[in-house]
Amino acid sequence: MLREEWRLHQSLIGPMGSAFFPGFIFVFTVALAVLVPMFLSGLCYSTLLLMFHVASVMYGLFVGSIGHIGEEIWSRRLGQINVILQLPQIHPLSFKRVMAIFYLKDALYYILYSYAPFTLGLAVAAPLAGIALGSVAQLCLTMVLTFMMGMSLSFLLSASAVRSRRAAGVIGLSVLGVASLVWPLNVLTPGQLLLPLGYWYKPNPLLLVFSVAVTVTLSISAVTVIKERFEASQRRHRSSLLDVEPRFAFTGKLSSLVAKEWVELSRSGVMKQVVLGLAGTLLGVYFIIWLIETGLGFHFPFNVVSYSGFVGFMGVLTYSWITAMEHNESLNALPVSVDEVVEAKLVLYLILTAGISAGCVILISVARAELGLLALGLLVAGANAVYAGSVAARLTGLWTNTMFFDAKVISKFAAAVVPPLLVVESASLWIQVIGAPVVYTIAAVSLVQVAASILMLRGVRGKWRRVSFAFAVTEA
Amino acid sequence: MDGTHMPVIEAVNISKRFAEVEALKDVSLTVHEGDFFGLFGPNGAGKTTLLRILTGQILPDSGSATTAGVSSHDSMSVKRAVGIVPEAETPPSFMTAQELLELTCRIRGLDDVKGRVDRWLGFFEMEDKRDVLCKDLSKGQRQKMMLASAFIHEPRLLLLDEPFINLDPIFQRKVREYLQGLLAEGRTIFMCTHILEIAERLCTRIAVISDGSIIEEGTIDQMREVEGENLEDIFMRLVGEGPSLTL
Repeated sequence: MLREEWRLHQSLIGPMGSAFFPGFIFVFTVALAVLVPMFLSGLCYSTLLLMFHVASVMYGLFVGSIGHIGEEIWSRRLGQINVILQLPQIHPLSFKRVMAIFYLKDALYYILYSYAPFTLGLAVAAPLAGIALGSVAQLCLTMVLTFMMGMSLSFLLSASAVRSRRAAGVIGLSVLGVASLVWPLNVLTPGQLLLPLGYWYKPNPLLLVFSVAVTVTLSISAVTVIKERFEASQRRHRSSLLDVEPRFAFTGKLSSLVAKEWVELSRSGVMKQVVLGLAGTLLGVYFIIWLIETGLGFHFPFNVVSYSGFVGFMGVLTYSWITAMEHNESLNALPVSVDEVVEAKLVLYLILTAGISAGCVILISVARAELGLLALGLLVAGANAVYAGSVAARLTGLWTNTMFFDAKVISKFAAAVVPPLLVVESASLWIQVIGAPVVYTIAAVSLVQVAASILMLRGVRGKWRRVSFAFAVTEA
Repeated sequence: MDGTHMPVIEAVNISKRFAEVEALKDVSLTVHEGDFFGLFGPNGAGKTTLLRILTGQILPDSGSATTAGVSSHDSMSVKRAVGIVPEAETPPSFMTAQELLELTCRIRGLDDVKGRVDRWLGFFEMEDKRDVLCKDLSKGQRQKMMLASAFIHEPRLLLLDEPFINLDPIFQRKVREYLQGLLAEGRTIFMCTHILEIAERLCTRIAVISDGSIIEEGTIDQMREVEGENLEDIFMRLVGEGPSLTL
């Protein structure tokens, strides 16, 4: 299974792409470690440790939601790809057993892919940052154990949800209830819930043993509830594409393709990911700003325009989600080209991000009492969303998820998108000091981004017209 | 058929390589209007690769192909002119059977969408499945939808890769009779299949491909070495999998 995972990665993103992520983690960790003394000037040690362990449990929760894979395999969601997990369909193998092995494989893979380069980066930077190597080893151990706690919980939740959404809901609410004892009720300390974190305050090996016991218990429970048999579903939708298409008549000859995309979006469950992804991103933006202000002690005059740039930029996640909705190989038999489908997806992207981005900007401007900057904020969010989306479309076509792991592609994306964003972000900090000239500058940059988007869209046609619809494309 | 009917498919010295594998080596063939042309070969011989080149889905490394009078480099024009049934049944997962056909009609700019959709759902007895998501259909039902999608615009040229796969005998006959009807109207069909019994009843001309090269082309009668040899015997003899039939 490990070999299969590695080969799947390689087929999707190539060997360079496969090496990019751990390489990036390593470099980022070295940089972070060097900055630790600066962080500690504004943040206390315990807050830093808490951040690391909360990040680990969140990471585990994110990667652990694999319990639904059985249903996806059964309902033929994987398209042309077949994996070892499907062997129980035709061989005398228990699906529970195969899923248990798959789960262990995933855990090992993510630990090697993420935590190994993280630990190596810290170890390399330790002498510069004045961190003891023993502390590095301990941090790696406690973060991995916390990651596994998150991963096992997520595995249990996702496996339970396949059997009973109600049961999964009860488990989820129970976990939230326990977490609320830490915050906001302050009945428990974070270390009493995240036991490996607690080891830093009371170095009692039993805490680590108990965290392993919790992980093992959750994992075994998850495997126990895994279904062996899945009923074939036959969901029915009494709608017609001809009824949906007129809504998109404004797109001209793309209307039928945009209608197809809309129908697929509403039925595939991707909408949830879009909303959660953007909400999570906003939280991430707030967190980064909090970290800069609190951790580094820098106080920047952030305003709604500052947030708007990020809101727009992060909309590119929406584009990557909607390009992963469906394999489009059947379109090879029709007179439809990849660039036309890219354009249709961009229309859908703009519809989604316009609504969500505008909503976010309005909320932020109301919360910060900065309604005077609302119009500029909307322009900045819109321009960055359009520009980031069109650059992503130009560079990656329909294969954003996989091609963004390619170091060349992500570098080109960053080179195109980051500089104007930095200009807007930097300028936004001077609005209150300089006023109108800065506002005009930001507006001008935004209009240039919109103009550049039009050029990017012209490039989509040239680059993707002759490419076939395929499961994965590593270069075009 | 040749000489009196225009060529609708011409492949000239087509070669194609995938990494270490030479999938096609200098392949040339001609299909004339009104032919029911069958291409046969062992697994991995290059049939699907050739069909994908003819339909413009991939480009050859060398050589040229024209399909329905259009260079295969202009894949959009080729696809507008022909009907294609790909090797694997992969309709869009989250569209219903009805919506798939509606989409096909809209992309092809056809009139009377409702009428056409109803006709083909009826032909394949899928009326009660019209609102089921394609991913929830059985393999055979998905294959029917891919066939319907290829037939719906009544093209003059059909390129079919394993069209009978996963179909039950009732629908194998129904599709066979439909294709024979098209042939009687002077349309052209290019087909790859392993179901030689059906192919023997349908094909007016055949070619056998093995290891990326055409090893024989002509009518079944021309290829018979001895009386009574059927297509399976011819195939086995040509690809070297068994002794020639001797009496």
